[in-house]
Amino acid sequence: MIQIHEVTKKFQDKKKSVTALKHVSFTVKEGQVVGLLGENGAGKTTLLRSIATLLTPTDGSIEVAGFDTVRKPDEIKKRIGVLFGGETGLYDRFTARENLVYFASLYGLSKHETKIRIDDLALKFGMRDYLDRKVGGFSKGMRQKVAIARTLIHNPEIILFDEPTTGLDITSSNVFRQLVHELKRDGKTILFSSHIMEEVSMLCDSVAMIHKGELVCHEDLEMLYTLEGSRDLNYIFMSKLVRGGNSYAS
Amino acid sequence: MLLNIYLKELKDCFRDRRTLLLTVFLPIVMMTGLTLFYDSMLSSDNDKTYTLAVENSFQGEAERLFAEVPNIKIDAVANPEQTVEDGDAQAALVTDGSFSQNIQNGTPASISIIGNSFSENSAYVMSAVTSTLSAFENTVVAERLQSEGVDNSLVQPFTVEQKEISSEGGAMMMLSLLIPLILALAIGVGAGPAAADLFAGEKERKTMEALLMTPVNRTTMLMAKWLVISTVGIVIGLITLLVVCLEVAFLTENLREAINFGDQFPLIIGFALLVTVVYSLFNGALLMLTSIVGKTIKEAQSYSAPVMMLSVFPAMFITNLGVNELTLKHFTIPILNLFSILKELLAGVINYEHLALMVGTNLLVVVLFITVGRLLFLKDKWVMN
Repeated sequence: MIQIHEVTKKFQDKKKSVTALKHVSFTVKEGQVVGLLGENGAGKTTLLRSIATLLTPTDGSIEVAGFDTVRKPDEIKKRIGVLFGGETGLYDRFTARENLVYFASLYGLSKHETKIRIDDLALKFGMRDYLDRKVGGFSKGMRQKVAIARTLIHNPEIILFDEPTTGLDITSSNVFRQLVHELKRDGKTILFSSHIMEEVSMLCDSVAMIHKGELVCHEDLEMLYTLEGSRDLNYIFMSKLVRGGNSYAS
Repeated sequence: MLLNIYLKELKDCFRDRRTLLLTVFLPIVMMTGLTLFYDSMLSSDNDKTYTLAVENSFQGEAERLFAEVPNIKIDAVANPEQTVEDGDAQAALVTDGSFSQNIQNGTPASISIIGNSFSENSAYVMSAVTSTLSAFENTVVAERLQSEGVDNSLVQPFTVEQKEISSEGGAMMMLSLLIPLILALAIGVGAGPAAADLFAGEKERKTMEALLMTPVNRTTMLMAKWLVISTVGIVIGLITLLVVCLEVAFLTENLREAINFGDQFPLIIGFALLVTVVYSLFNGALLMLTSIVGKTIKEAQSYSAPVMMLSVFPAMFITNLGVNELTLKHFTIPILNLFSILKELLAGVINYEHLALMVGTNLLVVVLFITVGRLLFLKDKWVMN
């Protein structure tokens, strides 16, 4: 479970102070898939980085799996998997297996555990054929699979994806969507940011919309459809932004 | 965990062709070129033959005068000055046409030496010709005084004898400047790509975020990465020294004779390795800082290039100093003392007090750099783009 309570994040840039998040509060329940929606610069990545313990909130608090992000970051890191972007965070001069072994060692997995996890993930993502090839020569789709496998190597309870399908082709995007379904079946808690409304409609139990650092909506998806009288998430998103004061949404 | 990260990063570095090229091949090529060049330079004064152009009418006299100078060949031509300008001779002698006659008659005679001081070869011939003519002048004076019944000591009241306290020649002095410079540059240039890749590169590729998401302590990451940069530097230093030793021993003749450490050879090589290790640790910490500050590899490299030049700069301060002129300050100031120690070692001097000062002061600076690096690495601004 992720509990975000009155989180404010300010960045000090020389003489100027930028508030990226303003009193954001919502909860992601265990086993839920939550979509984080917002325009570019709305504060989605800042929020995900704060949940991932990479950024410290200026005000408020975040609890992940019962641990505070500021006081117990290491406990959270053991229980969380994060993928920023669709296919990043890999060492090109290493093979897919070497990448996975390295991160497994950083998470403290034994050699035996690592082998089992890599075999499982390779089977699940169909990576066996290229597991021992250097990542530098991989296609975007292959890289994405290895990156996701790296995120899941320590079998985290909670997974964060930051715009995981941006820049990926339709096949690679579908691989991701299928994976989220499988992770949901396995009872994982997932929070992911996206611009693609169809993807969010297809995968999420609930959505959280952020606009200029403020949470403008956090609702169960079915409830949101009922309340807004429409099943068009794109329309709902735009109308929410209008209410939030965005002139582009008219 | 530190060992895990260290081994992985080291493996990654040595899989990079740039690192391999700069670590292994560059020092070999640089040191081979330098060693062979200096060996040939040492032999040049003795083995090389230079041409001195003279007028056809002066050929006999010139051959008699320079018979004792074995590496000067007399070339009789119609226009000696033109021959020098054409590059067919290194220097020329031009007389007034009756030089020998005038000397015999005891009347004033004149002779001009023509050469190009910008050319080392020409300068050498001009110097040799001046010395020979000076000796000839003394002989003529002595003969004239003798014929007049005057004692030679009247015009030559004392003799000057020059004694060298150092057995090392000029070439050795040049080597004591160039070997440390090349060593420092090789370590700086070679470890640069690895350093840029380990922090700025990780930020650029977004692997840094993945790394920071693991439960590994940031200080452990920092130390492991610094050790990797330093190790690359140490490997380059070792290869450079090894190449020099092997080439001097097997490929050179004059240098082998010039560099003669006798029984102290293993100790001197051992301490040269110690200097290499200390310089690599210093260099590693400095490059680490530039890489933490850089957001991309390109940015990190643009910071590291001038910083590297500055860290080699102190070598210039001791260029004109002899080993006996080096004072305590030369062994106390970090970086400068690395070059001072190498100069001492190349002259065959081992001073344990100076060595301890060098190690202590440089490691103190390394600790300072690592502390600054840690402070930066703990801040979000410097670890994420």
